[in-house]
Amino acid sequence: MPVTDPFTEGLARGWTVHDGSRLEQDVTLEADIVIVGSGAGGGTSAEILSAAGYKVLLIEEGPLRSSRDFTMQEPPAYASLYQEAIGRTSQDGAITILQGRAVGGSTLVNWTSSFRTPTATLEHWRREHSVKGLSEQSMAPWFERMEQRLGIEPWPLTPNANNQVIRNGCEALGYSWAVIPRNVRGCWNLGYCGMGCPSNAKQSMLVTTIPATLEAGGELVYLARAERLVIDKDQVTSLECSAMDPRCVAPTGRKIRVRARHYILTGGGINTPAILLRSGAHDPHQRLGKRTFLHLVNFSAAQFESVINPFYGAPQSIYSDHFQWDDGPSGRMSYKLEVPPIHPALAATLLGRFGIDNAMRMEQLPHTNAMIALMRDGFHPDSAEGQVRLRSDGTPTLDYEMTPYTWDGIRRAYHSMAEIQFAAGAKAVLPLHSDATYAANLGQARKLIDELNLALYRTRLGSAHVMGGCAMGEDPRQAVTDSLGRHHHLENLSIHDGSLFPTSIGANPQLSIYGLAANLSSQLAERLKKA
Amino acid sequence: MPTPTSPHALSRRGLLKIGLLGSVALAGAGLLGSIAGCSAERAAPGLAVLRDSDLPMLQRLTALLLDGAVAPQDMPKAVQGTLASLDQGLAYLSPAVSKQVSQLFDLLSLPVTRGPLTGIWGGWEQAQDSEMRAFLQRWENSPIALLRQGHASLLQMVLMAWYGREESWEHCGYPGPPAI
Repeated sequence: MPVTDPFTEGLARGWTVHDGSRLEQDVTLEADIVIVGSGAGGGTSAEILSAAGYKVLLIEEGPLRSSRDFTMQEPPAYASLYQEAIGRTSQDGAITILQGRAVGGSTLVNWTSSFRTPTATLEHWRREHSVKGLSEQSMAPWFERMEQRLGIEPWPLTPNANNQVIRNGCEALGYSWAVIPRNVRGCWNLGYCGMGCPSNAKQSMLVTTIPATLEAGGELVYLARAERLVIDKDQVTSLECSAMDPRCVAPTGRKIRVRARHYILTGGGINTPAILLRSGAHDPHQRLGKRTFLHLVNFSAAQFESVINPFYGAPQSIYSDHFQWDDGPSGRMSYKLEVPPIHPALAATLLGRFGIDNAMRMEQLPHTNAMIALMRDGFHPDSAEGQVRLRSDGTPTLDYEMTPYTWDGIRRAYHSMAEIQFAAGAKAVLPLHSDATYAANLGQARKLIDELNLALYRTRLGSAHVMGGCAMGEDPRQAVTDSLGRHHHLENLSIHDGSLFPTSIGANPQLSIYGLAANLSSQLAERLKKA
Repeated sequence: MPTPTSPHALSRRGLLKIGLLGSVALAGAGLLGSIAGCSAERAAPGLAVLRDSDLPMLQRLTALLLDGAVAPQDMPKAVQGTLASLDQGLAYLSPAVSKQVSQLFDLLSLPVTRGPLTGIWGGWEQAQDSEMRAFLQRWENSPIALLRQGHASLLQMVLMAWYGREESWEHCGYPGPPAI
């Protein structure tokens, strides 16, 4: 079934798109507004600002890949579409961090789950982090706009067997659960969202806001890494970028300089703070890179008599928030429960052990359900927290410090996942931890979980949501930008991405970023008109 | 060198013998930098990143890690395929992470560090399965964070490389992506 590739067609129609890796000379570009990063925040901002009549230039570090490149194979997807070729981890290597790195950013490789920012989170920001103007009511029209723009609706089809485990287990236990809204149109229910959607059903930035930007006369430069802003007192005077090689591994030596009236950073958590750190941006209260959060994930696998095939079907369609707010916004560490899709290469690194042990676990893959708990980090002073640091070569790494408060949430999450998996009819449950073996009943699982030595490396940990590092807020002693995303010390610099969040969100973050970026970009468009 | 009776005791003695004091020292530029200088920098023929010095260790390790997932008669081909896939994946890593990986391989391959850190004093080709398992267990439980990180990293990168290959899917019941 032939699938039309909107990017190929657009390029043929004359879109202005530059491949940084092909530059033979240094180049200087100019625009009204330059936007660094083509993910959720960048794409959204670019569409709105180009529609408002501004000349927009989008800079993207990664390659351009579109539906004809998406072969649903793990190795090429991981190598080309993910930050550091899926080699990005916390500084100590204990937490695998999944972020996209291609035109479309993480929206290209995420699993489509779309939630409005929980009201409790917005309230917490207002109360504890001096964020003003963001409430359920004020954000509603922006969420509505982006939900319509991106086809966001609760998944109407039958959840796949992997997701049914949450539904069936929670039903049996009387725990709340609900259907996940997804940003898809005409989804074929394949399950390969994480490798780039081959049918263009996923409404990523690649097939929505970026084409719209390019149609409106905007420009895109990809395989170009933004290195630093050149700053003169309270003004950014230019942006310096390095052209990257076609694999996006190393700079080619060619430079791209950009001059604009206004600069917007949308590289996401880790990357946006890194640019500001490399730029030596004024940071009198050392806020840059601090308070970076991850929705830290731990995992539980379960074996079923029936076929689960956790690699087929829409990857995330059911969730449970039963343990997310039950102790208030800042009580004990809370978590959201979902399932991940597990294809063989990823499964092999999660299921643990090696040799015969790992082989036996992998042999059962078609009968294996995997569940994840996402910790709602950042709401309590004792929460784990990360700080972005620069390596000696200027690239960023995240130093994420675990705490007993957070480990406590991890242990309770193992208990919740085991309980739900058995209630759904699992024959055996395996908390993903190097000391665990399959437990044949809940009693055995509970004992095993209570005795687990919760330490880094022994506990399999991951993250697919990097948030914070350039917190928004009215108090410059706490925040890098104000509540409009305007840098506190640089007059022509804004941030419109997930690094603005003062805490983690407590829900998969893409819609929070879309809504906030739409809101902030619309206000910016007005301000620039009057300036 | 006597056969170690207690892995942890030897590892501390061995480490003190070559002046390593823990993860900070290991990760520091000094010793690791000079160690890295001892090994070949160029990739082995036909490979993009993996060096000749990396191969004996990786071949021996991969065979152990895939034991049970691959029939003995198919193992040499599986090992070769796994290392080809691993090599391709490594070619896309950021320079910082790539450097960490080659330093990890250097620790395992260079005689001056291999013996003290793994308890495997002869070459990798002669290492017994029992010695390999003992080394992996030592690293998994090492008081030195860098070795615990190295253990996790080794297992993940080799298993990910194998199970990304179509030949591995029959074993894990994965029919592959649908034809569209």
